[in-house]
Amino acid sequence: MEQLLQHLVNGLVLGGTYALLGIGLTLIFGLMNVVNFAHGEFYTLGAYAAFAALGWAGVDFFTAVLAAIAAGAALGWLCEVTLLRPLRSESIDTTMLVMIGVWIAMQNGELLVWGGVAKSIPHPFPTAPLVLGPVAIAPLRLFVLLIAAGLIAASWLLIQKTKLGRAMRATFQDRDTAALMGVGIGRIHAATFAFGSALAAAAGALLGPVFLAYPSMGDLASLKAFSVVILGGLGNLPGATLGGLLLGVAEELGAGYISSGYRDAVGFVIIILVLLFRPAGLFARQERIA
Amino acid sequence: MARPESPPLLRLEDLHASYGPIAALRGLDLVVAPGELVCLIGANGAGKTSTLRAISGLLPPARGRIVFDGREIQGDIPAAILKAGIAHCPEGRRVFPYLTVEENLAMGAYVRRDRIAIAADVDEVCRHFPILAERRRQMAGTLSGGEQQMLAIARALMARPRLILFDEPSLGLAPTVVETTFAIIADIRRRGTTVLMVEQNAYAALRMADRAYVMETGRIVLEGAARDLLDDDHVRRAYLGG
Repeated sequence: MEQLLQHLVNGLVLGGTYALLGIGLTLIFGLMNVVNFAHGEFYTLGAYAAFAALGWAGVDFFTAVLAAIAAGAALGWLCEVTLLRPLRSESIDTTMLVMIGVWIAMQNGELLVWGGVAKSIPHPFPTAPLVLGPVAIAPLRLFVLLIAAGLIAASWLLIQKTKLGRAMRATFQDRDTAALMGVGIGRIHAATFAFGSALAAAAGALLGPVFLAYPSMGDLASLKAFSVVILGGLGNLPGATLGGLLLGVAEELGAGYISSGYRDAVGFVIIILVLLFRPAGLFARQERIA
Repeated sequence: MARPESPPLLRLEDLHASYGPIAALRGLDLVVAPGELVCLIGANGAGKTSTLRAISGLLPPARGRIVFDGREIQGDIPAAILKAGIAHCPEGRRVFPYLTVEENLAMGAYVRRDRIAIAADVDEVCRHFPILAERRRQMAGTLSGGEQQMLAIARALMARPRLILFDEPSLGLAPTVVETTFAIIADIRRRGTTVLMVEQNAYAALRMADRAYVMETGRIVLEGAARDLLDDDHVRRAYLGG
């Protein structure tokens, strides 16, 4: 029982960051119809940006996380404006290929700048775990979970309660009519891509110190993000949140009770089952981007 | 020819537009005077919807001029045209199904910045259409067809337009609701907003309009006072069923 609780807590920490990755990807996919294969690279970028801010700029850890989020947003925006905007009327395959190109370019860029050796990102938290009743959690992991929860809540507020979020939902539901209302579709796309990329970078900056930063770390993150989108349903924000948490917990349980070597396999078995039996997503409702 | 005397609010001159290789408008000329209710009738595919889409900026014209209130607006983006004072109530209502009634109204005021006046306009619209007030927090997709049409009209009004374009406002609605919809449009005009309407129910449209244009294959083939067109042989044969 204690072991189960411990696995659940570890699963939530992992799942919270999966949810961040998934929310970003599901918004980009749902709203822009872009299959963003570079999504994981923004996760890598987040980890390296935090590393660079700590090492080169010498700022404190929390500022470094903020800098990573800002870097993700800035590069995401740039990516949309320079690469995706000219291709807005092209087919989904074209933009997918472009994003595969971005993936390769970014990953090799990271390799060029930081080399292939994994970097450890320093953090100010004590390593001794906090013991809360039956479970123990490292302070850094608790921080990751809290920040992830905060960012998920902030995303929800942005989508549900702001004028920008309303315009994003309207654009998702009916692009032509949203344009008739005066919504600048280009601006909405840029904001969506920047926002989704910022969330991925946040996940990278949060998990980077937990694990290590290395150039190909984003590959698996991309796969996880796509898994979360499949679990949650396209453009479904609560679905991505629940899907992320579910995936994290399932992986942790698989790793704990079967074998740690099967951690990723457990996730993908779930995806295969979902695609077989509920292809619209576990939480499919009519409503999307909400 | 019942040409209006005052300078027109909207003037289309030799307008050409196409969807890829398919020409939709082939040299369209049309004027709407301030305060008028003008209707545009014609067969399916004649280019009526394309005309409205060109005016509101969704279908940028290839050639020709669109002059609104003395200013050329062809080539402007939809947001700029809406700000200039032209709202477009599209065919098939096109409310945002997963936004609430209130959020749909807010989308209508998207280009406006005057928050307090917008809130007042939402209240005003709700007074005018009590059914919308009742359904304020409901998803628009759960409304009936007639309620959705009211919401679409109310949403267009939220931009405080000087000219509203209506595209097939009666399409797919029950006969009693059609009557209500036309009454609402007549009321909007009475309160000073100019209306340009595309309508397949030519008889009803001609009875309520001041003037009308008949469109065939992308250009105007006939124009005149709506009353006169009701008696015109060609119009009777082609659009009024004998």
